[in-house]
Amino acid sequence: MCPEPAFASRPDAMASPGVALVRRPIDTAGLLRAVASPSAGGNVLFVGTTRGVTDGVGTRSLDYEAHEPLATAALVCLAGEAIARFGLVACAVEHRLGVVAVGESSVGIATSAAHRADAFAAAEWLMARIKREVPIWKCEEGLDGSRRWVHPDIPAAVDGVPPVIAGPPGTRGAAP
Amino acid sequence: MQHSSPRDGSLRVLLFAGLVEPAGGRTLDIAWSGGTVADLRRALAEARPGLEPLLSRSAIAVSGALAADETRVAAGADVAILPPVSGG
Repeated sequence: MCPEPAFASRPDAMASPGVALVRRPIDTAGLLRAVASPSAGGNVLFVGTTRGVTDGVGTRSLDYEAHEPLATAALVCLAGEAIARFGLVACAVEHRLGVVAVGESSVGIATSAAHRADAFAAAEWLMARIKREVPIWKCEEGLDGSRRWVHPDIPAAVDGVPPVIAGPPGTRGAAP
Repeated sequence: MQHSSPRDGSLRVLLFAGLVEPAGGRTLDIAWSGGTVADLRRALAEARPGLEPLLSRSAIAVSGALAADETRVAAGADVAILPPVSGG
């Protein structure tokens, strides 16, 4: 089981072949190949791409950075937990760093399972945990030349305990 | 500030994303003779007031592990400030 947030994972976790931070386009075919297996009857590929408009404001590109050792450790941990939790045959994740133009992909998740329901559920679970917990950040570069780092507001927990992402281990609320 | 080397009486802190500009760089060296994570938060806010309010919403990793406010931070420790994440 991964700690929550997952970036509390051991930073010395070995990068697995199925998890990578990359500075090139997401290799969607490679992700699907990585999870293919004779025992898998359902293969799901999720691809997150840079959207051209957010809240009515035009976006030119997103610029991603990460704490790479901690992000890799968190991805390894989450991939392993997804396999265990959903009984996957395999899963593979790539997250791109650097500038990702509108229409290009920033993240790819492939899952495979005996049946499709587990593969779909695992891909959604992984994406939600990645967005919430892996130390990767995006800077929105607007059509007007503006740059804005995105740091979501996390709902504060009760009795003054810091928000989920901001808090040290043990301070988070119930898991989703 | 009278520190000379990163190990002796000082601390080099890694910063990310929206913390980089108010810190004036991706690393910030502060005088540090030891203390808790809570002490470190105060020292950072004092050294670079512009880090707030984002600093208060950030997690602090010491030697690669998330640290609670009462965790001790030695001089020369490996410290990273992680603001709320936005990957995906």
